[in-house]
Amino acid sequence: MELSKDKKVIVERGNKVVYDCGDTVVKVFNTHKPAADIFNEALNLARAKQAGIDVPEIVEVGKVDGAWAISTEKVEGKTMRQIGDEDPSVREDLLDQFVQLQLDIHAHRSPLMSRQKDKYSRMINAASEVLGDSIRYELLMRLDGMKNHVKICHGDFVPSNVIVRPDGSLCVCDWAHATQGNGAADCAISYLHFRMRGADEFAENYLNAYCKAQGCTKEYVQNWLSIVAAAELSRGRVVEKDFLLQWVDVVDFE
Amino acid sequence: MPEVPEVPTRAQNPDAPAVIVRSDDELIEKLEVMRAAQREFANFTQEQVDKIFAAAATAANKARIPLAQMAVEETGMGVMEDKVIKNHFAAEYIYNKYKSTKTCGVIEEDKAFGLTKIAEPIGVVAAVIPTTNPTSTAIFKTLICLKTRNAIMISPHPRAKKCTAEAARIVLEAAVAAGAPENIIGWIESPSLEATNTLMAEADIILATGGPGMVKAAYSSGTPALGVGAGNTPAIIDDTADVIDAVNSIIHSKTFDNGMICASEQSVTVLDGVYDQARAEFEKRGAYFLKGDELDKVRHTILINGRLNAKIVGQSAHDIAALAGVEIPAKAKVLIGEVDSVDISEEFAHEKLSPCLAMYRAKDFQDALAKTERLVADGGYGHTSVLWVDVNEREKISEHAHRMKTCRVLVNTPSSQGGIGDLYNFKLTPSLTLGCGSWGGNSVSENVGVKHLINIKSVAERRENMLWFRTPEKVYFKKGCMPVALDELGTVMNKKRAFIVTDQFLYKSGFTKSIERKLDEMNIAHSSFWDVAPDPTLQCAREGEKQLRAFDPDCIIAVGGGSAMDCGKIMWLMYEHPEAKFEDMAMDFMDIRKRVYTFPKMGEKAYFVAIPTSSGTGSEVTPFSIITDAESGIKWPLADYQLMPNMAIVDTDNMMTQPRGLTSASGIDVLTHAMEAYVSILASDFTDSVALRAAKLVFDYLPRAYDNPTDVEARDHMANASCLAGMAFANAFLGVNHSMAHKLGAYHHIPHGWANAVILTRVARYNAADRPTKMGTFSQYKYPHAKARYAEMGRFCGFTGANDDEVFENFMQGIEDLKEHIGVKHTIAEFGVDEKYFLDTLDEMCLNAFNDQCTGANPRYPLVSEIKELYLDAYYGRPASFYED
Repeated sequence: MELSKDKKVIVERGNKVVYDCGDTVVKVFNTHKPAADIFNEALNLARAKQAGIDVPEIVEVGKVDGAWAISTEKVEGKTMRQIGDEDPSVREDLLDQFVQLQLDIHAHRSPLMSRQKDKYSRMINAASEVLGDSIRYELLMRLDGMKNHVKICHGDFVPSNVIVRPDGSLCVCDWAHATQGNGAADCAISYLHFRMRGADEFAENYLNAYCKAQGCTKEYVQNWLSIVAAAELSRGRVVEKDFLLQWVDVVDFE
Repeated sequence: MPEVPEVPTRAQNPDAPAVIVRSDDELIEKLEVMRAAQREFANFTQEQVDKIFAAAATAANKARIPLAQMAVEETGMGVMEDKVIKNHFAAEYIYNKYKSTKTCGVIEEDKAFGLTKIAEPIGVVAAVIPTTNPTSTAIFKTLICLKTRNAIMISPHPRAKKCTAEAARIVLEAAVAAGAPENIIGWIESPSLEATNTLMAEADIILATGGPGMVKAAYSSGTPALGVGAGNTPAIIDDTADVIDAVNSIIHSKTFDNGMICASEQSVTVLDGVYDQARAEFEKRGAYFLKGDELDKVRHTILINGRLNAKIVGQSAHDIAALAGVEIPAKAKVLIGEVDSVDISEEFAHEKLSPCLAMYRAKDFQDALAKTERLVADGGYGHTSVLWVDVNEREKISEHAHRMKTCRVLVNTPSSQGGIGDLYNFKLTPSLTLGCGSWGGNSVSENVGVKHLINIKSVAERRENMLWFRTPEKVYFKKGCMPVALDELGTVMNKKRAFIVTDQFLYKSGFTKSIERKLDEMNIAHSSFWDVAPDPTLQCAREGEKQLRAFDPDCIIAVGGGSAMDCGKIMWLMYEHPEAKFEDMAMDFMDIRKRVYTFPKMGEKAYFVAIPTSSGTGSEVTPFSIITDAESGIKWPLADYQLMPNMAIVDTDNMMTQPRGLTSASGIDVLTHAMEAYVSILASDFTDSVALRAAKLVFDYLPRAYDNPTDVEARDHMANASCLAGMAFANAFLGVNHSMAHKLGAYHHIPHGWANAVILTRVARYNAADRPTKMGTFSQYKYPHAKARYAEMGRFCGFTGANDDEVFENFMQGIEDLKEHIGVKHTIAEFGVDEKYFLDTLDEMCLNAFNDQCTGANPRYPLVSEIKELYLDAYYGRPASFYED
């Protein structure tokens, strides 16, 4: 695929660069990223769309200078994060919208999407360098005992992945981590992200708002924290390791 | 250090005869090896098993110290010296508890009742063993599996896999040395979720101890599971408690193995009146009360995101405080947080598996109960709760027990040591697997033991029901006996007030005069109720009972036919028990001894005398009565031996004026009673003898009594026949002939005796089928033999033939001839029953006949459709149908 000459870098991460190409947005991954991951992300996006969720239209999956890339239509508007950063006074309203949107996604179904438990179990096993046998055994046992649900879970649901169009409608992007599974786990991931960014107060507000809107207890979501933290550990990020390890090293009551 | 006994370690003995699963792939294959061993073990005798059990327990006991050392070293949790106690308990107490328990073959035998219970092993037990009690639980589970001839495959916790395997190995080697099959115990060397799940799915039963995730996995595996789970034991110290005992016991329990027993107290709720005293005692004995921000620091250390921090489990109070950045004396025993909230958001309200304790102040006992109820709900459903209280406060003890949804409710007992049983209460089963009942998502609510690891076969041999022969205590008979019999009321029983129940005809024709004269003679005051109508009603009985109650007699004399005697019985019942309800008393039963309703005791107020004036119903010696509610039209058939008259006076002088119709109808009723009692599934030698004699007397004397009403000899014998047949069916009951006749009476008003007669030979033929559709259910009724019974009765009555079939046919013909002689109509139609009305009500009538109480004793269990055929045949006088199936 050819990138427009006027392309602008939106964001640059360790494993990808995201370009604004005018009509499209193109994510160009680094060359180490396996093709399967790229196709999986594109497939998730297509499945979320098919399930009826408002997501950017996929345009193309191809290669840019030997690296895999996904091109999607550009959605006009600002992310929820931008809006909140620009005007802190609207954050409370945004939080409600954010939680409602997450629950709305959970209300959708996609029987072919990967299963959440499989994904976490794979990730926990992949973290064997940082997690000992005993801890992994406990985590897998706990994960195994969790209720099996089939809600579409975005898997990285944060305000920077939600675009607010000028007409106020909301579009959710970045479906790399999507699975079908338990909504509480999805909430636990969002909470974990906020805590990792040091936004502790926002994290608590978010958790309270989610539990209230969903009608569940905080403990129900907290049950997932050690598991999502362990899964996060498998990404091998050094910075958050101690923080995550502390979250992981808990035991079930006996 | 105590002297450590020598126990060979795995390194010294690498060839343990165990099944060791070294990779997930070989699990299934290894389980097969284990199954083969178990099949062999399943044939061991109790003696062999007990020898193995003793040897294994001894070996585990000897190894208690090295195993405790290994457990602490490997897991980094708990207190070695306390783990020694746990190992010691698991070996010694479990052995002591079950050393004499029968677990092999016949474990119970009741020869009289023919019930034998046989214990069989279950097969391969999957044992999941936790990190908190890795060696003691292994000893416990392997021992109870050996005692029950099961094989056991252990899935240890990865954090305690070596010491758990070592405990299992020691038990196994001793067991094998004592004769157990090799490979009867095994373990997974490197436990994984997959291996544990496969094991749970493949095993025959799961003994799971651990957290809720694991317990849930056990229950989801599809294999029967004995799982146990989380506890959050709350203790209450009531203001009547011995506070010093309470506080020191709680410290003793809470510090045991650094708080790792799941039954350990997690909170103590102290009543306001003794709070300060308890607090001071806690401090005096070395507990540390967290102050100021120390409380928050510890809060945030014990729980991470609502989950228990693994780093504090089984650690000392000092180490946990240090982890939280709180400086406390090195020897502090327990960390106490004085907190208010029992909500789950309060960290101290959780199970802590460490010497951390929440302390609440309750304003009174009710407040304490409310708080602990909540704490139990927040994570300890089904486990254990404790109350410290004065033992004389029974109400508090009982209310606490009622309110706690926990399967162990301990009183004045340290819970760690108390919950596992046999240390502080010697009836609570010793166990290291404590069931939490359905509240905890478990299949057992008690302490798990050997009985949960055996299948018990019940070998039930056929036995026959006890039968009986019940009659009134006094049956007087012979022409002219009445005044002599009545004399007893005055001279023997000293009765003062007699109440006579009879019908208008008898009263007006002076039947009661001779009774009254006799009563006057004896100075017995008397009064009479003479309004009993045929088919007596409840309303009539109520009317009579009013007079009866006003008169307040100590004796009731019912004179007349079935109606007067039945009505008398009902009035007697209402007089003695005005509270009894007819709908309860009339409830149908399958077996009179097993009926739901217990009849009230009769005879407390009045003695009941029955004097028949017709020879038919036998009501003077039966426990039955029928009464009709005129308002609702419902007939209440009552049956209970409480309704049996106390005295029956069968005096032929009272029978001489029976009109011919009555002689005919009641006479053939007698034959029906005798025949039905004789073929009843409850027939016995006792009822047979009276039934046979009654039947013969009917054949011999009924035609004479009918032809010549003044034939005293015939009347005399018919009176006796009626009473004898009454005794027969009072004990053997009747059958479907009566069921159907009752409905012909109810729907079409055919007199009872003739209603019986019009279907009598048809029903007998139906019952006599060699191949009935269904036979009656009663242990001693072995096969359809009604034809032989009818033939036997026929022969006794003088009918002959080359075989049962011929005798039966001649007997039936004899009955038809008798009916003809005494003027019984041939068909239901001949009784003037309208065909359309008959057909319109037929289905309902059939169902009601089927449902009649008499049906149950019939030798052939009737289908409603068969009853319908019988009715139709009898209506039109059609030749009898072929009644085989």
